[in-house]
Amino acid sequence: MNTAASSWEPSVKIPEFETRDLKRKSIAVAVAGNPNSGKSTLINGIAGTRLHVGNWPGVTVEKKEAVFEYRGRRIRLVDLPGTYSLSPYTQEEIISRDYLVREKPDVIVNVVDATNLERNLYLTVQLMELGIPVVMALNIFDEAEKKGYRIDTKAIEDMLGIAVVPTVATRKIGLDDLLKRAISFAEESPLRLPKHLIYGADAEAASRQIEDHLRKDHPSVAAAYPLRWLALKMMEGDSRVMEETGLDEGGLLGETLNHLRAAHEEDIESLMADARYAQASGLTREVMIRPAIRKMEITEKIDRIVLNRFLGIPIFLAAMWLVFKFTFDVSTPFADWIDAMTTGPFRRWAVAAMGFIHAPAWTASLVTDGIIAGVGFVLVFVPVIFAMMFFITFLEGSGYMARAAFVMDRAMHAIGLHGKSFIPMLLGFGCNVPAVYATRVLENPRDKALTSLLIPLMSCGARLPVYVVFIGAFFAAHAGTVLWSLYVMGIALAVLMGIMFKRTLFKGESPMFIMELPPYRMPSFRSLMIHTWEKGKHFLIKAGTYILAVSVLVWFLLNLPWGVQNKKDSYLGKAGQVIAPVLEPLGFGNWEAASSLVSGLIAKEIVVGTMGEIYAHKAKEDKKEQPSPTDDFREIGTSFLAASKKSVSNIFSTFGISSLSAQQDDESAGLKPVLRKTFTPLSAYAFIVFVLLYMPCVIVAIAMRQEFGTWKWFGIAFTYQMALAWSVAFVIYQGGKLIGIGG
Amino acid sequence: MMPLGLLGTGEKAEVMEIRERNRGVKPAAACCGPDGNGWSCRMENMGLRTGKVVEMLNNEGAGAMLIKVDESRIAIGRGMAMKIMVRRQG
Ligand SMILES: Nc1nc2c(ncn2[C@@H]2O[C@H](COP(=O)(O)OP(=O)(O)OP(=O)(O)O)[C@@H](O)[C@H]2O)c(=O)[nH]1
Ligand SMILES: [Mg+2]
Repeated sequence: MNTAASSWEPSVKIPEFETRDLKRKSIAVAVAGNPNSGKSTLINGIAGTRLHVGNWPGVTVEKKEAVFEYRGRRIRLVDLPGTYSLSPYTQEEIISRDYLVREKPDVIVNVVDATNLERNLYLTVQLMELGIPVVMALNIFDEAEKKGYRIDTKAIEDMLGIAVVPTVATRKIGLDDLLKRAISFAEESPLRLPKHLIYGADAEAASRQIEDHLRKDHPSVAAAYPLRWLALKMMEGDSRVMEETGLDEGGLLGETLNHLRAAHEEDIESLMADARYAQASGLTREVMIRPAIRKMEITEKIDRIVLNRFLGIPIFLAAMWLVFKFTFDVSTPFADWIDAMTTGPFRRWAVAAMGFIHAPAWTASLVTDGIIAGVGFVLVFVPVIFAMMFFITFLEGSGYMARAAFVMDRAMHAIGLHGKSFIPMLLGFGCNVPAVYATRVLENPRDKALTSLLIPLMSCGARLPVYVVFIGAFFAAHAGTVLWSLYVMGIALAVLMGIMFKRTLFKGESPMFIMELPPYRMPSFRSLMIHTWEKGKHFLIKAGTYILAVSVLVWFLLNLPWGVQNKKDSYLGKAGQVIAPVLEPLGFGNWEAASSLVSGLIAKEIVVGTMGEIYAHKAKEDKKEQPSPTDDFREIGTSFLAASKKSVSNIFSTFGISSLSAQQDDESAGLKPVLRKTFTPLSAYAFIVFVLLYMPCVIVAIAMRQEFGTWKWFGIAFTYQMALAWSVAFVIYQGGKLIGIGG
Repeated sequence: MMPLGLLGTGEKAEVMEIRERNRGVKPAAACCGPDGNGWSCRMENMGLRTGKVVEMLNNEGAGAMLIKVDESRIAIGRGMAMKIMVRRQG
C-alpha cells in the first residue's frame, strides 16, 4: 500500500477562487461523526443548550440545532445523528447525509472518537468529499491518553488539509479553540477546503468526465450538489442519488460508467470503499502510536458477567426491578405532597379568590372542579414520570441499555424481532411517543412497523395515574404485585401479538442484527439532568396544554346543556350512556367509566382527571374546617421537607412499594370512596386492564403517522388493541365471576 | 475457512470473505440500503471488513454474539455471523 500522503492532492484550484465577503454574519456549522462519539455533549458544552445525550448509539435521531452569538457572528450548530458512513443505510444516516448535501453548511465539525481512530476516519474521508471545510474535533482525548495512545494531530492536518483540535467534550476542554478554528475555516472557505483522495487514474478520469458532463448537460443538478461527490456517488451506483437527481444511466453518463465497470469487473463500489478504508487505516498507522500490550479493559470485565449466558437475563430483570422500585420510592412522597397541595391549599385559595372577585358560580366551578381537579390529578404524577425517566436515562448513559438489547436478542427472535427492537420497547415504559421515534435506529422497515405495533402494549407513564388511583382504592394491601401484574401482562400480550403478527402480517426473513456496544461510562450528573428533563418535559407540557384544554372541555361537556342538574344528563354523560352497554360485559358498564374512557383517548392520564371532575362535587363535602392562609404556607413548606426526607429514607428501606398505597389512601381526596361505590375489586381490575390496552393515545397516533407517512399502521394498532382490550377485560371479569371472586 | 459464528469465545480470526445474503457475490451497484440487501456494506461501514482480525468476546451458542474489531465492540446476529467466513488464528 502506498503511504497516506502520496495519494492526496490539494483541492484548491486558484482559478476557481471566488472572493467572498470575509466577515460573514451567520455561520452554519454541521456537527457530524460516528454514533456515540460525543457530538451532542460537545454542542452542549459549546452552546449550553439542552440536547439529548446518551451512551447508546443512535440517541440523536433527528437533527437538532443550537443558535447563539459569538464575537458578532450568529453561529448555528446543527447536531446530526451519528453515522458510520455517508452511504444511507439507516434513517438517521439519511437525515445526516441529506442535510450535508442539500443545506451546504459553511463548515463541518467532524467529531472523532480518538479511542477508535481508524473507524472514525473512514467517515472523515467521506466528509472531505463534500466540498466543505472540515474541522476535526479529536474527542474523548482523555480516554485515548489514558490508554496510552499518542496521536500526531499536526500530521493529520498536513495530510488531509483539515484542522484538528483535541477535545474533551465532557470537561469542555478544547471547545473554544475548536469553535475559533471552525469559524476561521468557514470564513476562509475556498482556501480551506480539504484535500481530495485520489482513487486511481481511471477512476479520476471517469469522475472528471462525469463532472464535465453534468456541468454542461445538467447544470441545475450540478449546481444543486457538491459536484465531485455527486460524480463519485454515481460511479458507486448509489441508487438514492440517481433517483433524486432524476438522471439515468443512458447517454454519456452510462458510457462512462460502463467503461469503468468493464475495467474493474463491475464492482466499483467496493473498489472505492476499499480505497477509503485503506486511507483511513494507513493514516491511523502513520499518526498514532499505541502501547504494545493491551490491558483488559474494565468494559470487558463487566461484560463477562453482564452478558453471561446464565446471568444475563437475571441481571437484566434485577436492573429493571431496581428501576421500578427506586422510581416509586423516590417519587411517592412528592406525589403525595402535590396531591395534598392541589386538593388542599390551592383549591381553598382558588375558592377564596373566586369569592373575592365575585365570580359567577359557574366560573368558580370551572376553575376548581374543572381545571384544578383535572390538571391537579395529573400533576400528581410528575414526580413518578421524572423519577422513571431519570433511572432509564442512567441505564442509557452508563451503556447498560445496549447490553440489555444484546441479552434479549434470543428472546426477541420468538416474536420475529431482534435485540435492537428491544430498546424502543423498553423506552415505551416511559412514554410511547419517544419509543415510536426511537424505532428509527432499526434498519429494516419491517422491524420498524412490527416494533411500533407492539410498543403501545408497553405500559407508559401516563397509564400509571389510573393504576395508582384504582390500586389505592381497591388493592392497597397488594399494590406492588397488582402493579407488576399489569406491566407483565402488557409484555406477555406483546409476545403473543408478536408471534401472531409474525405468522400473518410480517412473514418473511428473520431480520439482521448488528449494533455497536459502547464502553461503560459513568454518566455525568449534568447530562443525566439534561436528559431526564428532555424526556420528562413533554409530560409537563402536556399537563399545561392538552390536559388543561381537555379539562376545560370536559368540564363544559359535563355542564352542558346549560343548567343540567345531574351530570348524567350532560353531553359527556349522554355519550357515556351510549357506550356503557358495550362495556357492560366487562363489569364497568356505568356512564362514569365510559365517559372517562372517551376523554382518555386524548391521553390516558386524562381518565383520572375526568373522574376527578365527575366526582368533584361529591368529594367537596369532605373538607370541613378552613385553615388560614398562613397555616397553608406552613403546611406546604413542612410537608415538602417531610416528603424529601421520606423519599431519601425510602431508597434505603426494603418495603418501598407498599408505601405507595398506604400513603395515598388516607391523604387522597374523596375520589377513592366514591370509586368503591361504583366498582368492585374485580371490575376495577378489568377496568385498569382495559385502560392498559385500549388504544394508543392521540399523540402516539400522530407519531406513528409521522414515522410511516401513512395511517395504515396506526389503524392496525387501533383495531387490534380495541379488540384485545375488550376480550382480555371480558375474560378477566367473566372468568373472575365464574370462579367467584369479587363479582 | 469457517463461519464467524462458529468461533469460540476468546478466539481470534481473520475475516476472509463476507457473503451477501442472497447471492454468492456482491451484486453490482448494491448500495447500502435498508432493503436487506447490501447489509455487508453496513458491516463494512462499522469496520468489519475483509482482512480485519476479529476477536470473539462472547459466543454462547445461541442468540447474538459479541466481537471486537479494532477498538469497537460489535454485537452481531447469528444469521449474519454465519455468512462471514474467517480463518482462525493462533
Ligand atoms: N471520557 C469522555 N467521554 C465523553 C467525551 N465526550 C462525550 N463523552 C461521553 O460519550 C457518550 C456519548 O455522548 P453523546 O454526546 O451522546 O454522543 P453522540 O455523538 O451525540 O451520539 P449519537 O447522538 O448517538 O450519535 C456520553 O456518555 C458522553 O458522556 C469525552 O471527551 N471524554
Ligand atoms: Mg447525539
